[in-house]
Amino acid sequence: MTASSADEQGRGAGAAFVAPAHAGSSPFARAARRLLRKKIAVICMIAIAVFYVGGAFAPLLAPYGYNHQNLDLAFHGPSLRHLFGTDALGRDTLSRNLFAARTTVIVTLATLATGFVALPVSLGLLAGYRGGFADAAISRSGEILASLPALPMLVLINATMRPRFLGWVKDVEGWLHWHGLSSSGFADYFLIFGVLSLFGWVGGMRLIRAQVLTLRRSEYVLAARASGATTRRVLFRHLLPNVMPLVVVGASASLGAIAGSEIALTFLGVGVQPPHPSFGSLISDGASRIALEHHPELLLVPAAIVATLIFAFNLLGDALNDVITPGAR
Amino acid sequence: MDGLAGYVVRRLLFLPVVLLVVSFGTFFITRWGPGDPISIYSGQYRDPEAFARVRHTYGLDKPIIVQYGIWLKDIALHGDFGVSFRYRDRTIPEIIGPKIWVSVRLGAYAFILTFLLGIPIGIYAAVKQGTWLDPFLISVFLFFQSIPVLVTVPVLVILLAVKVHWVPPGGFDGIFSRSMIIPTLALGLPGVAGVARLARATTLGALHEDFVRTARAKGLDEFTVITRHVARNAVAPVMTTVIGLSLVGLIEGALITETLLGIPGIGEYTFQSVNAKDYNVILVIVLLITFAFVLANLLVDLVLVAIDPRARLAGGGGP
Amino acid sequence: MSNKLVLGAGAVAAVLIIGLAVILFVVAGSGGSSGTPAATSSGATPASTVSGTPAAGDLRVRASDPLFLDPAVAQDADSAGYIVEIFSGLVRLDKNLKIQPDLAERWDLSPDGKTYTFHLNPKAAFQDGRPVTAGDVKYSWERALNPDTASVTAENFLGDIVGAKDVANGTTKQLSGVKVIDDQTLQVAIDAPKSYFLYKLTYPNAFVVDQKQIAANPRRWTLKPNGTGPYMLKEWKLGDRLVLQANEHFYLGAPKLKTVTFLLSGGSSLTTYQDGGIDVTGVGLADLASVQDPSSPLNKQYHKADNAAIDYIGFNTNAPPFDDPKVRQAFAMAVDRKKIASVVLHGAIPAATGIIPPGVPGYTPDDKTLPYDPAKAKQLLGQSKYAGKMPQITLAETGAGGSIADATQAIVQGWKQNLGVDVKVQQADAATFFQDIDQGKYQMFHLGWIMDYPDPEDILDVLFYSKSRQNSSHYNNPQVDAKLLQARTEADPNKRIALYQDIEKMLIQDAPWMPLFFETSYYLVKPYVSGYELPPMVIEHYRNVTVNHP
Repeated sequence: MTASSADEQGRGAGAAFVAPAHAGSSPFARAARRLLRKKIAVICMIAIAVFYVGGAFAPLLAPYGYNHQNLDLAFHGPSLRHLFGTDALGRDTLSRNLFAARTTVIVTLATLATGFVALPVSLGLLAGYRGGFADAAISRSGEILASLPALPMLVLINATMRPRFLGWVKDVEGWLHWHGLSSSGFADYFLIFGVLSLFGWVGGMRLIRAQVLTLRRSEYVLAARASGATTRRVLFRHLLPNVMPLVVVGASASLGAIAGSEIALTFLGVGVQPPHPSFGSLISDGASRIALEHHPELLLVPAAIVATLIFAFNLLGDALNDVITPGAR
Repeated sequence: MDGLAGYVVRRLLFLPVVLLVVSFGTFFITRWGPGDPISIYSGQYRDPEAFARVRHTYGLDKPIIVQYGIWLKDIALHGDFGVSFRYRDRTIPEIIGPKIWVSVRLGAYAFILTFLLGIPIGIYAAVKQGTWLDPFLISVFLFFQSIPVLVTVPVLVILLAVKVHWVPPGGFDGIFSRSMIIPTLALGLPGVAGVARLARATTLGALHEDFVRTARAKGLDEFTVITRHVARNAVAPVMTTVIGLSLVGLIEGALITETLLGIPGIGEYTFQSVNAKDYNVILVIVLLITFAFVLANLLVDLVLVAIDPRARLAGGGGP
Repeated sequence: MSNKLVLGAGAVAAVLIIGLAVILFVVAGSGGSSGTPAATSSGATPASTVSGTPAAGDLRVRASDPLFLDPAVAQDADSAGYIVEIFSGLVRLDKNLKIQPDLAERWDLSPDGKTYTFHLNPKAAFQDGRPVTAGDVKYSWERALNPDTASVTAENFLGDIVGAKDVANGTTKQLSGVKVIDDQTLQVAIDAPKSYFLYKLTYPNAFVVDQKQIAANPRRWTLKPNGTGPYMLKEWKLGDRLVLQANEHFYLGAPKLKTVTFLLSGGSSLTTYQDGGIDVTGVGLADLASVQDPSSPLNKQYHKADNAAIDYIGFNTNAPPFDDPKVRQAFAMAVDRKKIASVVLHGAIPAATGIIPPGVPGYTPDDKTLPYDPAKAKQLLGQSKYAGKMPQITLAETGAGGSIADATQAIVQGWKQNLGVDVKVQQADAATFFQDIDQGKYQMFHLGWIMDYPDPEDILDVLFYSKSRQNSSHYNNPQVDAKLLQARTEADPNKRIALYQDIEKMLIQDAPWMPLFFETSYYLVKPYVSGYELPPMVIEHYRNVTVNHP
């Protein structure tokens, strides 16, 4: 394995690592093995896995629907029927938390796929390999986006664009004669992962661009080109496999931040809209004066889940960083 | 390192470009969305003709791009950033000045807390390197760093205001009141881990420097060595980074903390202005925040380069 | 190398931080130069702490900043609360919401009911001592209607005056229907005999402002306005405090209270009240239970006040499925509003008993609304033309909070449970909401209505007359229209009220609305404060308060 320092990199991402695609056992597998030897990392991965399974299978696991109300049971404490008690409308807290986890699962995975894999990879490859105007345009836009404070901008964009966006969704639904998009809450998810992706791609793009710039002059890419490989072939057969591990690391390190952003946006009222549950709205409900004084579990349950999840993500990100760049710390 | 000065100059020269792009973007998306401050202010009084007249009075009926041109011209010629559509007889600085001042003082509290906790903990962790205390201390504060403020604030309210009535559950009773305790903790604690790690790294570096070895050789006791020689060298870079980092973190944290607790700072007011579509006020706030954010980030980059020469400057051209 | 770099970076950092601070303060402080000193807030104003010891003759209240103290423009409750103390109009409302003389000492109405002649109080004067003349009234109304003043609501309140439309359109600056007979006498012609005209004059848009002051300082006169009301603006620091000082020469008698101090910095009102920092405070729903507890020391200081306001769900009578009255009735009968009021709203906010809110003539406490009857509701839905083919239904409401109000969610649940209809709730920001309501884009919407003046016309005519701009339900019922027109000009007050009560019954039966709750306020008053009463509408109410410290 030949380690070389990247020309450019996202802050705190650690030094890059580069390996020819056809070196014995893949660096990815070796990193994974080293990661599994770290106890903390394994615990974190288990916690995260439990969360994602719980979220993904919420409809099967939850004892009640997320909006199943029973006014006669409003604000009841934990019991056998409702393990974590009920909220102001007599809805089951456990079920609502499971469905909130589903929201987090959907938003984080969608954002990961677009904003932290698809966009950075394509833009990074384009900028690094093409250079010239494409590079300038992508890099400058990235620089401007990176110099913006993300949360206030996300709030601003969501608050102002949401009505327009929902209008479009309604139009589309009108043409399709199908109303699943807005009623299932997917329109909200789409808007959120859209804006999160918009602000998420810059770090990954820089990393990949730098890698491509280095790799472009490496012997095997030069050889591939000399043997008449097309640009596309060089990009996808030779460059992409080499940058993928980096993308994965960068993306997994950002998962905590993505989850946190969705929760913050929903909390501020510009994210997932009720009655679809999100930890943002659960915390906002739990932070009402009455709930705080008489039913703190309504706040403490989602708060503990969110804190654990993001802590696990951050610890795992640290561990990954250690594994990929030995001796960084 | 002749690139350093050039880098700073280039980033600073880029700032006006950023501000121009941001102002255009903000101008466009705020005015393009449906509704306007006039109709929001008017609530249920919906008189289309009256709306049209008032829009005309404020020039809101012109195409957005023309409005943007007028806005730029007024700034260039008169230094006038426009009127607020909420407090119509006040200038924008009059409106947001006191809010910024509240936030700045709140931020200063949080910063002091971060600094007072982080530096000693980092130095202590470095000195205890190899024992369980080192990773334990850092992990505890890493946990605080991981919890979003929107979780910390209500939990602190339960603990400090509902269970024991030490502090009011929200609001702002002046800067020297108990109402500052929760926001200070909520905004200050997340930064501690970062500062402590940095202080730990610098201390570890300093512990191996020649002058420390000399001091030890001279027979000075360990406490004096740490406080006099190591701490002094560890504090300077950490301090600069903290200022930068906390600015970045505070700007985002303030939005939620102030909204949650009803503190009349700039974070809470940003949210209010967005909801009221007070176009010109939103613009000024976004530009100010961006300005502060760019500077803070530049600062952090510089200090990181200084501390860890392996880290290179972002945006430094390709090969 | 690394140490030098650290120093270098530190130096750069210091310069940048100082630079940033300087810029922030220049921006923050630069606006103060053109304002009057007392009312200007600068960036460096230290937030004052709440004074612990009350001063004699001073009432301390927590409140929000007014947006803008121009009576011609103001329509938000925060601004209006100050404006009614600082300014005044020809007539006023007393605490029972009856019309009383104010700047006008008396008035005559012509036999055809279309011409009012107002005789001004000879003692009426601005706070700087200049007497108020009939010309001042005419000027104030013309200014309010002038498009340059940018008032959205002035035409709503002054539009009955002959010629008002032309001034509002900008075709003329002269209000032809208003004649100045002499300094003390003003003749006002309105377009039809309308008994609610005087009520409209109690709204701030019809108040009197000082022409000379506005001419001298057109943009910032409101920072130190020369009004005619019982209190003068002494100090206003944005986000900090606003102090009103008694106008000793007030023409209806000097206020008993020397000053009223409004603390504007936000904060937990109840805590401050308990600490003795303020003398009066509102109580939110969350604190109500602890205040109502008989063992609480606060229990004796707690008062309740009806607001002339109603919370409702409106059906768009043009949009499927609510173009069928049976569907509207079914929806209205499928929700147990009383249970929601007692469980979700903790019994603090009563379920509405009709459309006309308490405090307004025509209100009666007996429940006239469609009863909660799930079986009947289901049956009605089955008979409707949408039986079995119910379209997707969305309930729209304003809001940008993280969660839909619990009450709304409980209502939606009622429809689901009793009718089997899934209603989606869509929250929109205020601007989108009203735009979409105007364009008839919503099937149904959740809204409130706060009375501007205590006459049933302000709710039944304004919201249900087929040609009214505020008719968000797009309700069009010729019978109701005919009765509304008849009630507008009915001279006998009793007959008129009876007409409106008839209309209310027709509306409840035809159900363009599902009335939800009557809004109610709760507040605490310290025992040493007497004469403080929270009125059901925004009207002047500090003049007769006295503070006798123990």
